Amino acid sequence: MERSFASWEKEVIRCIRCGACQNVCPVFKELQAESTVARGRVKLILGIINQDLDITSGFIDKMSLCLMCKACVPNCPSGVQVDKLVEAARKEIVEQKGLSPLKGMIFRFVLKNRRVFNTGMRTGRLFQGLLFRKGPSGQGMLPRMTLGIDKRRLLSPLASKPFKSLYPEIIKVPNAKMRVAFFTGCMINYIYTDTGTAVINVLKQNGVEVVIPALQNCCGAPVRINGDYKTAQEMARANIDVLLKEEVNAVVVACGTCGLTLKEEYAELLAEDQTYADKAKQLGSKVKDFTELVVDLEGFQDKMGSLPLKVTYHDPCHLVRGLKVKDQPRQIIKSIPGVAFQEMNKPDTCCGSGGSFSLYHYELSTKINDNKVNDIDQTGAEVLVTGCSACRMHLIDGLNRQNLAVKVMHTAQLLDMAYRAKVHPIEKV
Amino acid sequence: MKPEVLKLLTAIVGKDNIYTSLEDLYCYTYDASFVKADIKKDLAGVAVYPGSTAEVAQILKLANMEKIPVVPRGAGSNVSGGSISIGDCIVLVLKRMNRILELDRKNLIAIVEPGVITGQLQSEVERVGLFYPPDPASLAFSTMGGNVAECAGGPRGVKYGVTRDYVIGLEVVLPTGEIINTGGRTIKNVTGYDMTKLFTGSEGTLGVITKIIVKLIPLPDAKSTMMAVFPEIDQACETVSEIIAGGLVPCSLELLDNIYIRNIEEYAKVGLPTEAGAVLLIEVDGDSEVLAKQIGQIEQICQRQGAVQIRIAKTKAEAEELWRARRSAFAAVSRVRPTIIGEDATVPRSSIPAAVRRIQEIAAKYNIIIAILGHAGDGNLHATILTDERDREEMRRVEQAIEEIFAATVELGGSLSGEHGIGRAKSKFITLQIGEVGLEVQHRIKLALDPNNILNPGVMFGV
Repeated sequence: MERSFASWEKEVIRCIRCGACQNVCPVFKELQAESTVARGRVKLILGIINQDLDITSGFIDKMSLCLMCKACVPNCPSGVQVDKLVEAARKEIVEQKGLSPLKGMIFRFVLKNRRVFNTGMRTGRLFQGLLFRKGPSGQGMLPRMTLGIDKRRLLSPLASKPFKSLYPEIIKVPNAKMRVAFFTGCMINYIYTDTGTAVINVLKQNGVEVVIPALQNCCGAPVRINGDYKTAQEMARANIDVLLKEEVNAVVVACGTCGLTLKEEYAELLAEDQTYADKAKQLGSKVKDFTELVVDLEGFQDKMGSLPLKVTYHDPCHLVRGLKVKDQPRQIIKSIPGVAFQEMNKPDTCCGSGGSFSLYHYELSTKINDNKVNDIDQTGAEVLVTGCSACRMHLIDGLNRQNLAVKVMHTAQLLDMAYRAKVHPIEKV
Repeated sequence: MKPEVLKLLTAIVGKDNIYTSLEDLYCYTYDASFVKADIKKDLAGVAVYPGSTAEVAQILKLANMEKIPVVPRGAGSNVSGGSISIGDCIVLVLKRMNRILELDRKNLIAIVEPGVITGQLQSEVERVGLFYPPDPASLAFSTMGGNVAECAGGPRGVKYGVTRDYVIGLEVVLPTGEIINTGGRTIKNVTGYDMTKLFTGSEGTLGVITKIIVKLIPLPDAKSTMMAVFPEIDQACETVSEIIAGGLVPCSLELLDNIYIRNIEEYAKVGLPTEAGAVLLIEVDGDSEVLAKQIGQIEQICQRQGAVQIRIAKTKAEAEELWRARRSAFAAVSRVRPTIIGEDATVPRSSIPAAVRRIQEIAAKYNIIIAILGHAGDGNLHATILTDERDREEMRRVEQAIEEIFAATVELGGSLSGEHGIGRAKSKFITLQIGEVGLEVQHRIKLALDPNNILNPGVMFGV
């Protein structure tokens, strides 16, 4: 038996409506309407459960106005799992009202089918030049014409070749001290292959053999977060089978969202399917963020050259509040000689991306992003390091909108640069 | 709500600052209190977010003319039901008026708009070495307007008093739309009735506060924190009385009972003995040279009263660790039962031991769980009822227990509410304390200012 929507009442009534979430919700900070803060969302969900309200387009809209940034969860005195409640509501919406045709097509046909996805992405990169022009300072691209996306919206181009086609399935190193599987996630595979390359370089440098399982597909997080549980479950089972087949010490991710999905959410998603729930837990116990793995590698800080850079770090929501990875990336950055690390005022507030949130609520997501960009600007950093590709794309967009020449990269890339600087000192950024 | 009225309201506040959809309005049927609104009859007609005093005045003029009830609201963190919608009304949210207008170091005052978050004002004034002491638990998100309207308190009340003790002037829009200024920038001011004090704590029934002048004091230079554990709650209560009688005035004197202790320990692992009857968390502040002496005297009193464990924080981090127990209190007990009802009956400080005993007897009589946490230093007890709102039979017993707690409080010479307000939650009990004549006088004041009874009807006086 699948968990019914009504069964969430027990969680909902734990909300004592104190209002503490007003202090941390990035959407509420901009919109200020009571229906746009965690407390309001929880109350609306209770309204559906006790049949005060119906699932109307108004309700669907309110549920879509959540970034899933989890800021309210640790801040809640009663510990209400608002993120799980909103997700349950979105699932109920999909079950009662279905998915929009576009989302249905993307989730059920494209993301789920590795081959279709791959072909689409390979074809897409041939034509993207017709629709997009290059962004300023060489980062990203801007739409040439209206595409239903804001014309100011800077997107990153699809890579000329997917990451997985750049490497053999197994990357051997002499006298390997461990063997890991790399779960690339979609954005690293199709857009930010530079992050993937840096992950491989760093792991190779540290004597770690890397397997990049060819049959891995999208982790399914965008599908699940939008409420399409059936498709997300199929994707989870497929990834579990692929990843558990590998004989490895760890499954490495370089994206907080993929990481949390693999580590915890597969087990919740498949709770009703005992066999796969057990497998999901087995997989979850092996999942490590790239930075978690690196700080445990003996001597990772040796053989670094100097990088005379001022650096700040943005905590991706699902990495810091999901996987609870906060210190490791900072430890890595601070260990690089020459780097001056400057913390932001609020490094762990959401950048406003929220994955598909930024496509549906672009205006709002840019306002949230503006606060982040101002915070970055205050630090005076030349390089912004982060641990999530979606944050990276959204932050490049925001920095571009405000004409700030800050370079954005993944923690792995900065570390890779430091290793290379040992061989070719003072590399230009 | 009539379409003409909505049109006029839209013209006043602009289309981005008005809400009329069912889903939006549904979210004004609650605040942080336990008052339950009925969607069929309590849904507001509209919620508006004015941006200036002039807009507030226009809205009230219109509402008064059309005789539409108006419910003023800040962050909606009210715990007595004073900011929930009441049928086809206007919910007037003051969050957009959120500027700190002046920080006057020469006169030690700050002038703020009602939507300023209390915690933000505090950090701004502390940056320049000044202090605005009132510290309701909600200070990180509640607004100054709401704090003034409810006369909010907090743990520091024992030494520093409550919101009322800091408000020296107000700008208020009357229910008829006129704007008045009360008090001013001076500490001394006896021109006319003290209207500032009248509006402070008036729970949005007499006017809408649009500007607040508060006095500030110098920021104390140091703090010292300690925790004492007692086998019996009576010993802790006696200790509180002795500390006060000894002329020592801590800035916080917080009491936690055994139910809190057990749950905090289970939840936060701060090293509390789970069999203890009570814990006192004590903080003194002031000149760093006298603090050690004060803490020493308090320590002696605790020992005399039978404290089995005393921890004095040596560093800021240790003090933080002690406060962590208090701060996790609520989260800790919220895991016991799904519904939590916090009362705030307040008694003269010397009656605390008696009040605690009475509450425990009432809990036993009605077979419900009541945990006690209190700002014991000022007699403000927070009896916390842990229950389940879905269990109707139990909820009936809870209601009976609450009535008995109120009766006991008044009998002990106390107040129905120390800092939460009467609101809609306790309006039916008000005569218990102020009597029929007292209520009649307050009613006449209300009618003098609000002849059409449009401002927050139902609050304090019931329906």
